[in-house]
Amino acid sequence: MTTLALETEGLSVSFGRFRAVDGVSIQVAQGELRVLLGANGAGKTTLMDLISGRTRSTAGRVLLEGRDVTNQREYRIARAGLGRKFQIPSVFGGLSVRQNLEVSLVRHPGVFANLRFGLGTTDRQRVSEILHLVGLADLATADAATLSHGQTQWLELGMLMGQSPKVILLDEPTAGMTQAETAKTAEIINGLRGRHTLLVVEHDMAFVREIAERITVLHLGKVLAEGSVAEIEANAAVKAAYLGTQEISEC
Amino acid sequence: MAELSRNYRVWAYLIFFAAILALPLVGDEFWLNRVAKYLCYGMLGAAIALTWGYAGVLNLGQGLFFGLGAYSMAMSLKLSSHTSLQQGSDKPIPDFMLWNAQPGAAPDLCCITPGSWLWLPFQSQWFGVAMAIVLPVVVATILGKIIFGQRISGVFVSIISLALVLLARLVLVDAQPITNGFNGLTDLGFLQVFGAEIDPYAVSTYYIIAVILIVVLVLVRLLVATRSGLVLQATRDSQTRALYLGYDVPAYQTFFFTVSAAMSGLAGMLYVLVAEFASPSFLDLAFSVSMVVWAAVGGRGSILGACVGAILINTIEAKVSEVEQLVEAWKAIIGLIFVLAVIFLPQGLAGFAHDVMRRIRERRQPAPTLNRELRQ
Amino acid sequence: MFDILFIGLSLSSILLLVALGLAVTYGAMGIINMAHGEMVMLGAYVAVLANIWLGANLLLAIPLAFVVTGALGYAMERMVVRRLYGRLLDTLLATWGIAILLQQAIRLEFGLVFFGLHVEGLGAGLQNVPVPGFLQATLTVFGQELNTYRLFIVAVTVVLTVLTWHVLYRTALGMKVRAIIRNPQMAAACGIDVRQTNSITFALGSGLAGVAGVLMAGFRSVSPDMGATMVVDGFMVVVTGGVGSLLGTVAAAGILGEINALTAITFNEITGRAAVLLVVILVILLKPAGLFSFKGR
Repeated sequence: MTTLALETEGLSVSFGRFRAVDGVSIQVAQGELRVLLGANGAGKTTLMDLISGRTRSTAGRVLLEGRDVTNQREYRIARAGLGRKFQIPSVFGGLSVRQNLEVSLVRHPGVFANLRFGLGTTDRQRVSEILHLVGLADLATADAATLSHGQTQWLELGMLMGQSPKVILLDEPTAGMTQAETAKTAEIINGLRGRHTLLVVEHDMAFVREIAERITVLHLGKVLAEGSVAEIEANAAVKAAYLGTQEISEC
Repeated sequence: MAELSRNYRVWAYLIFFAAILALPLVGDEFWLNRVAKYLCYGMLGAAIALTWGYAGVLNLGQGLFFGLGAYSMAMSLKLSSHTSLQQGSDKPIPDFMLWNAQPGAAPDLCCITPGSWLWLPFQSQWFGVAMAIVLPVVVATILGKIIFGQRISGVFVSIISLALVLLARLVLVDAQPITNGFNGLTDLGFLQVFGAEIDPYAVSTYYIIAVILIVVLVLVRLLVATRSGLVLQATRDSQTRALYLGYDVPAYQTFFFTVSAAMSGLAGMLYVLVAEFASPSFLDLAFSVSMVVWAAVGGRGSILGACVGAILINTIEAKVSEVEQLVEAWKAIIGLIFVLAVIFLPQGLAGFAHDVMRRIRERRQPAPTLNRELRQ
Repeated sequence: MFDILFIGLSLSSILLLVALGLAVTYGAMGIINMAHGEMVMLGAYVAVLANIWLGANLLLAIPLAFVVTGALGYAMERMVVRRLYGRLLDTLLATWGIAILLQQAIRLEFGLVFFGLHVEGLGAGLQNVPVPGFLQATLTVFGQELNTYRLFIVAVTVVLTVLTWHVLYRTALGMKVRAIIRNPQMAAACGIDVRQTNSITFALGSGLAGVAGVLMAGFRSVSPDMGATMVVDGFMVVVTGGVGSLLGTVAAAGILGEINALTAITFNEITGRAAVLLVVILVILLKPAGLFSFKGR
């Protein structure tokens, strides 16, 4: 049996008396695309914060490729092979699109190792390749701050490709997007599949059906159900807790 | 944007270098001595731009590093001045220590006043020169590790640096027996370099300072053009994103903060060579804020712009101050210029020049980016 | 011991007087107003001028200074600060420029010196304001002689603090201000006139500084540069207390004032000031959100 790409064991965190994430154990295999579902406040984003080191957990462990990275600092977890896209896109606004991608190609993370000029040929090719993959080749010299919301999201996905971590966390990659933009995002994400292990938080059920293999449903900080799209859609407990009535789920 | 302006930038640097090297052709020694001080201020302006423009860290206590550099150099030069040597002992003793000495204290640098032994190594001039860089580097590294390691950013860094420079100033003034308090260190000797004296009013001294400034500017400009410089700018725009790419953000911030401190220490050291004094006023809040004004007017995002801003403002100030009535009015004008610059020219003169250059270029040849946008 | 505590208390109340206005402008609006000290200075000059030209005593100068500095703050917000929302460090720089302008305006007597005109009470020199007779007495409490003027300052500070608290937490204006702190766009969407509210809040903070200036004129000489150090002290109090927490500002002023008094009397003035700076640095390093901030998730 190969090691799991990402595993949490009884991961928990409390804010005061409120247990936002309560003993969550999930196993994500190499190359899998897992979708996290859950109503607002179910603890999806908090779970991502715990895995990526943004929030310190109060109990449980996080294993990345079998390595214990529980409560390490963000940059250490990132170096261990984790990448993350935020719900509100976060790129380097003052740099050009190309520079953003150049920064994302992390060969050596240290200050002194980077006292060099420019990139090698392979890296430069990789940047051009990513620019085409995310459809921003024509905007390579534009400042990232001038991009539209959708373009910013794609740039951030492009930066994840540049960073090329083993495991990628995506927090609502289609939030606020038009239908056309959502379709393009699905295409980009499907392109990441296989090469990377993905954990995606998403609300848009149409989008989930398009990309998901397995789904984990969180409810009130706990794992409520896990299974394929069809299984989850048929699951009575999930319907009661999250989907509620059909109208709300399509909202 | 970067590619577009690279040529203009190189030309701007070359013109500036040529201009400061050509100044001795048009001015006398006294004027050159004054300009040499402004070149030191220029280095300070560039140091501010490095942390402010490239790292997003506004240091309101840059005077601390300038002061450390200035005092290190001044201590060594004080010990080689005539008044320090004419005290009848074989070791030099600063005059103010003799005045402050307890009755019966041995007239020796080791123990004439409490703490006077701190001066002992400064008998070597090269120790003073080295300390002018080493002390700011050590202080900045420790400070940076703590501040940035705690993820403190923005205004809070500014307030800590501000509190720190005020604290250092109090300590400096309070340690009167070894620092001469409010009076500072005056009546200094000359630095001896390979048997030659650095005379503040010699043209050669001006050239030395001009060349050092040029070398520093080129090195810093190259430094921000490295990948590390790029990553630093990335941390300015989004610390979180940089952290999640695996960059040790505090290490980057600390490194460039330290480089900026070293530049300021060097500027302080050179300043003492031409101004022949070191004073607690270097640690005044007003002085540290002035540096920020120079950088803001010249262009916070441009190493050269901030440097030119410092030289320009000080030159104009000196000219205006020759008319006695205008001294106070000039301060008001500076205040006004500053308000207007922050509101209307947030990127300073350098940003203005950049915009003008881009317009000229776009008019000359329809920009390729425009065509691309049309195609989309 | 009681006398030291009392000195500490009066130092605290002066710190709080200066910090109160900042707690409103910085704490509630996120504007770093470096001209705040100059507003204090102008308040002191209102007292000087009211005394010379109107024969008004210190008490009458208080409302006058509030109106004058408040109006100036209003104008400042309209002309400069408004353009810089969201650029925190830039507000710091622009208002610093304004601070110089205000200082020079007093020093140059609004530029009249260039025409050979002089206004009594202005200029670069020191000015003094007489304190009304009934505030010059000393009271004996627990066998200690207490200066009534210092007691008066403490009392006025308490009143102003309560008033500020009332305005921020018990009036419609205060509710708007607090709504804007949380989310300006949402506040605007709910029909709050964000621009107008900001102008009024800024005027309020400046007016408080003016009142502080009048009180200071009663125990120290007034000069154009008297505000320069005050703004630094004020900021340290607000930051130490925790931005956005009025209670924190009050507590921080109390703590820093007492520390200042204790160390200054045990050692000397310079150590007293150094101790305050050191405490402020440590607080920012160890608790960047301030001593009394309540952090949720």
